[in-house]
Amino acid sequence: MSARYGMVIDLDRCTGCGACMVACAAENNVPPPHTRTTARTGITPMLVHKLSNGKEGADAREAFIPITCMQCGEETPCVSVCPQQAVQVDKETGIVMQMVQRCLGCRYCMTACPYHARYFNWWDPEWPAGMEKSLNPGVSVRMRGVVEKCNLCDARYHLALSKAAAAGKKEIDPADYVPACVEACPTGAIVFGNLTNANDPVAVAAHSPDSFRLLEQIGTEPKIHYKTKQNWIRAQADRNAVRSNSPEAQHV
Amino acid sequence: MKFSRRDLFIGGAGIAAGIVFTPVPWKLLGDTSIWTQNWPWIPQGAHGPVETKHSVCTLCAAGCGIRVRMAAGWPVGISGVATNPITKGALCPLGFAAQQLNWHPQRLREVRHGGRTASWAEAQAAFEKACGEGPVTIVDGRPGRAASSVLEAFAAKHAGDYRVLLDEETRALSPYAMWSGVSAAALGYDLENMQTIVSFGVPLLDGWGTPGRFTRLWSEKAAGAADPQLRLIQIEPGLSRTAARAWRWTAIHEGSGAALAAGLAQVLIQEHLVNGQGPAPPQMSLVDAAAQTGLSSDAIRELARTIVERRPVVAIAAGDEPAIAALNVVLGAVGTSGGIVLKSKPQGSQVQLEAGVGHRAMLLDSTVPWDFAPQTNAEVFRFAAWDGGNSKADWLLPSPGFAEELTDVPTASTSARETYAIAVNLVAQPGETKTAAQFLTNIDGTLPDVDKGIHARCEHLFESKAGTVHAEQATAVAKFESAAKMEEQLRQGAIWVGDPLKAGGLKCALKQWPAAANPAHAIDWTAAWQLPVFPPLAAKLYQESDLREAPGRRQA
Repeated sequence: MSARYGMVIDLDRCTGCGACMVACAAENNVPPPHTRTTARTGITPMLVHKLSNGKEGADAREAFIPITCMQCGEETPCVSVCPQQAVQVDKETGIVMQMVQRCLGCRYCMTACPYHARYFNWWDPEWPAGMEKSLNPGVSVRMRGVVEKCNLCDARYHLALSKAAAAGKKEIDPADYVPACVEACPTGAIVFGNLTNANDPVAVAAHSPDSFRLLEQIGTEPKIHYKTKQNWIRAQADRNAVRSNSPEAQHV
Repeated sequence: MKFSRRDLFIGGAGIAAGIVFTPVPWKLLGDTSIWTQNWPWIPQGAHGPVETKHSVCTLCAAGCGIRVRMAAGWPVGISGVATNPITKGALCPLGFAAQQLNWHPQRLREVRHGGRTASWAEAQAAFEKACGEGPVTIVDGRPGRAASSVLEAFAAKHAGDYRVLLDEETRALSPYAMWSGVSAAALGYDLENMQTIVSFGVPLLDGWGTPGRFTRLWSEKAAGAADPQLRLIQIEPGLSRTAARAWRWTAIHEGSGAALAAGLAQVLIQEHLVNGQGPAPPQMSLVDAAAQTGLSSDAIRELARTIVERRPVVAIAAGDEPAIAALNVVLGAVGTSGGIVLKSKPQGSQVQLEAGVGHRAMLLDSTVPWDFAPQTNAEVFRFAAWDGGNSKADWLLPSPGFAEELTDVPTASTSARETYAIAVNLVAQPGETKTAAQFLTNIDGTLPDVDKGIHARCEHLFESKAGTVHAEQATAVAKFESAAKMEEQLRQGAIWVGDPLKAGGLKCALKQWPAAANPAHAIDWTAAWQLPVFPPLAAKLYQESDLREAPGRRQA
């Protein structure tokens, strides 16, 4: 039976440390930023936004929300607009796969993505001399002119598959497939697993009354769920998703 | 029928039009895009056998357990070790990209003297000359290592001084050391048994102490709960990352932490909320404390009542503010479970570096952070793996970088239990680098050897039969067949954790309320490390997002 991998991110546990962002970039061979790179033009498949309750003084509160590709399950916007068929939903895992080798860099998918979770490579990938030795050999480096996004550390999934195959098993051991951001979170705020397995902690958390998904009303059925007990965070999370798509929010 | 030139054109046009309706152009387009992704000048990683090794991070003194993925002999990926009982798999954001640091553009690869390239022989001759002309001061940023004993031995044999530079967390424990006579290095925080923490501007959720230890604890006991098991009360002027996620945040005026501590102590003693231990009440009135902090007297009273609702309660300071330490004495949080505890046998105080040392020369070990600028006229020899750019050193001496040096990692400053780990060099030490211990051993061949020092420490731990070694499985020291087997595990990334000491071994003799010291400023991990050298990917946090201020901007 095919899996549907997803996450539940507990926003009450996120401290905004950014470990997930750095671990993601290191795992996926994201190059160091160009000197002219900004929050708008950078490559951040996992990006932590700050949320505020808008109050002043002692009532002021802040929270953090990690935004990544939502791995839309229905009417996946990026898939439907790609003229190159460079985006496909993997039938075995439910992961929305970006095949950078096919990408022409038209950026339709970036326009179509309601979560602003896709990034364009504006510059050639460059590392200081010798630093390329620290690259992850399991992930190919992307060229200038293509779009990329989170693919739930697909390379780790394939490593887990190889390990299972070597052991004569058909299914992977869940402990062998954990994305870098999940592994890096110091508070354990991100739970990852197979949403179709009712006993999987991720499926249990996704069905808790505190869980929600971003822009649920547009019907894309994201496989990334969020969780919070605080209403203001929940309200701000959706507003942030809308705002981060507006040109005003994309400060250069 | 004749085949005309016109037919040729029509046929050609027809074929061209027909090809558009075949997969050929799309295949060509696809192949072209694939080809352009594989141009030879696109950087490629090292290809070779992939293996996983365990070790300990040495970027700071916290000593977090790391799992390092190696490809063709180079580290290509770092993650935490879930079985590490202290960090439980957590690392700070810098640690996840530490493998990049050895190729950082600011990596120091040559001896520099007065801005020009020099040689190791020249540096050694200059240091030997300085040793001959007068006493030298040797400064260690992480005392207690095997390498520290080499530095200490050299200073002792050559009539020099060995001085330690305490980190902020250890300095915060120094008032207790002064009042108890126990070295601050032997003290720690029993975080796991605390129920209320009053943090005076300490970045508890931003890398304080051992990153991961408190964040995991907070995540398990406090995150998101309206009435958490662990109450975190953050007291500081601004809404910091820790304040934003605390159970309660109280904003006070900048530098008024000592006044608030005095005000809280007044209320606790007057209202008999504590059992009357500790010093005489502070002279400062509640009204004065209120005026200085910007809080009302009622707010301070209410805060005092709140902090003792759930005990054990402890106040944690960002620096060595004696008033906050005195508040802990009043709260009965010193020497008790869930408070400030003794983590190792009482030891004598290490001599700290004082300002304005007038010795002939000063040698700074690579463990001394870059932001430390010695106030001295001495000739400064600074060991460093990266050129931070603002060194006042006369000599810059390249030392091994990340995972290039064999060293041991003693107990982290905030730990409640003694720990010991070994960080092996996962990659070969570059020939152009030397550690301070190697440099001094070149000068004096009779000094102790670091490798042998580590071996001796392992034998000592084995003979004590105390504590547990945590690898994939936890094994009591008493169950090891030999010291060599235990040492082998430690050299493969395991950590030795000592048995907890009985509470009550720590007594503070404090009769009078102490005078306020200079207010300390909270620091987080971005300041604690060797600014401005960050792994390039750390720029994700400030250049490609608005999560943090850029280091240069924040420093300014």
